[in-house]
Amino acid sequence: MTYKVEELNNISIVHLNGEIDMDVADKARQTILPLIESGKSVQVNLSKVDYMDSSGISVLIEGKQLAEKKSTKFELIEVSKPVEKVLSMARKFL
Amino acid sequence: MSEIAHQDHIEKKAFLVNSSSLKDVRVFCREVFEKLHIQEDLKEELVLAIAEAAQNIVKHAFKNSASPTELMVVQISCENNKLQIAFYDRGTPVDPKKVKHREIDNVKPGGLGTFFIQEIMDAVEFKDGKKPWINHLVLTKQL
Repeated sequence: MTYKVEELNNISIVHLNGEIDMDVADKARQTILPLIESGKSVQVNLSKVDYMDSSGISVLIEGKQLAEKKSTKFELIEVSKPVEKVLSMARKFL
Repeated sequence: MSEIAHQDHIEKKAFLVNSSSLKDVRVFCREVFEKLHIQEDLKEELVLAIAEAAQNIVKHAFKNSASPTELMVVQISCENNKLQIAFYDRGTPVDPKKVKHREIDNVKPGGLGTFFIQEIMDAVEFKDGKKPWINHLVLTKQL
């Protein structure tokens, strides 16, 4: 997995790229959560993520919950088809 | 259920028990499913279920601390359009009664893997592991 963080109109956009599994979930977590912790609005662009397992979904849940706690915005944008499929299964929990 | 008759096939491979192997598990599964001509959407669902089961071995059976040479085996077989995926490992014995996904209103990270496996597969069964194995998990899906 690779990533890039872009700042645009006071929003941090995290572009994730590749496969997000248990092996790299911590890297995604350490990229996304500090941005939310600092009070920024965060968007996660998932257009180039071609695989995500439960570890990746857990990072997104943590992001959502932390954003609620910090009263800031956390959004998923340009969700790829493979991720949308996993999210649709997980949606019961989100 | 698929209307395609999938050829009978069996293939297995051993992987080191660590999180870096999960990508190799996915590559192996995709290669086997290509040979079986399983359609793309179902193929990726099956890959997810298998990778989640392998992840459970790394995370739970070995609690992320397997020795560097410890192996787990994944065997994929297809017979009469019934797909069977078997996992063998030598981790802590799994108590099947304790393997369940968390409650649906319990929104917290983690524990989704077992839910995905149960959503995707027709059956999830823990069998007695025969030596040298301790755990033997079998996932099945009618194609």
